Amino acid sequence: MTGASELLTSLGTLKDVTGILGSFVVTDDGRLVAREIPAMFDDTALAEAGGRLTRLRDTFAAVGDRLDVAVVRFRDHKLYLKTIGAGMLCIVAEGAVNMPALRMAANLVGRRIVPALERAAQAPAPPPVVDPPSAPARVSAQAPPGMRRFRGRAVE
Amino acid sequence: MSSGASRELGTVAVTSEPAVGFHAQLHGASLWDLVQMECLARSRRVVEVTGEGGVGYLYFDAGRVVHASTLRNRGKLAAFEILGWTHGTFQASHRSWPSTPTIEMSPESLLLHAAKQHDEQGASNLVAFPARGGDAAGELLEEIELLEIGEDDDTLARGPETGEEGEMSMRTPNTDETPIPPSAPRAENAADFPVMVRLSSNGAVLRNKGGTEELAEATAYAHRLVQLTGELLGLEEFVSLECTFANERFIVFTEGDGDIVALRPRPDLNLQALRERLGL
Repeated sequence: MTGASELLTSLGTLKDVTGILGSFVVTDDGRLVAREIPAMFDDTALAEAGGRLTRLRDTFAAVGDRLDVAVVRFRDHKLYLKTIGAGMLCIVAEGAVNMPALRMAANLVGRRIVPALERAAQAPAPPPVVDPPSAPARVSAQAPPGMRRFRGRAVE
Repeated sequence: MSSGASRELGTVAVTSEPAVGFHAQLHGASLWDLVQMECLARSRRVVEVTGEGGVGYLYFDAGRVVHASTLRNRGKLAAFEILGWTHGTFQASHRSWPSTPTIEMSPESLLLHAAKQHDEQGASNLVAFPARGGDAAGELLEEIELLEIGEDDDTLARGPETGEEGEMSMRTPNTDETPIPPSAPRAENAADFPVMVRLSSNGAVLRNKGGTEELAEATAYAHRLVQLTGELLGLEEFVSLECTFANERFIVFTEGDGDIVALRPRPDLNLQALRERLGL
């Protein structure tokens, strides 16, 4: 099993938890190395988000706080961030997700993907982003419940 | 109410004060009537209220209650405390004014909150907060801030006659008051949050207790980063950011007025009650 498929398989298991919409992994330098999330979250958006989230971790590091976990609550969704090895696991979930189950699943997946993530992080060239086979090229019309805008555009 | 008028709540004797205008003696008048009347009249006045909880002051200006103070509280909490008293007297006072208002809410909202709090007092000593939205976060923070500020409230330009000891001596002797412990139990108090930072929406530090300037900057930047991330991913309306570090936690949330609030709780503090009160 390649590193990318290892990551993808592990991320897929997160969806056992009801309310988890998907997940992605970024390296310490903000590179997107794996994703298991609906296609409406395009690679560019995830990469940009990944860059910002690593800067979030760096922001706290600058004042002496080493980020372990962050939960960002939005009106209808949660973004769960877990620092792992050479990067960060990012999980997008519905607001009503079962948080204890999410935390446990994130711990297990986080532990499992450390080796693959470190290999991906050490790769000289940015590794290709793993897309789901049926990923359409543009934003899907089907938005997760409660989601009304995507990258500044209205989503029906 | 005319200047110098004094009124009676319940059956307590009226304090008389020579002044221009009518001298009222209304048995059965309530503080709620007082608030409504003063706000309707849009008067600028300080009213001294003596009730079962001691002495308190309500500051009216331009149709609003802009400040309140009691022995234990300032601002909204003091107003709620006073409005919870059921009998006593009130009269105009020449107490000095605060340099800045401490109550922003409308009189209607103030009365509603006081009513809700009063209704729930039988079951709990906690101030009642809505489960979600509104100004729950702001109220919580104000409660924490007020607990912290205590007698060091520098927003008040106090006159020489307005010391807290004087207020204590003005307690009405003929009320059936039950002594209130100096510190009622609460779910959270100032000691539970060693660090508390409040920033305006444009990043100006409005209050910083225990935090460094760098932490305020980090808070402002972190807030912006998660806001942008949410917009990017279509996850609208940032509510809060809760971080877990090696030994500590850090919570950032946005208030209804756009202020950004950051709290660093004690490491062993159970945050569930706080989350519930903030509607998280």
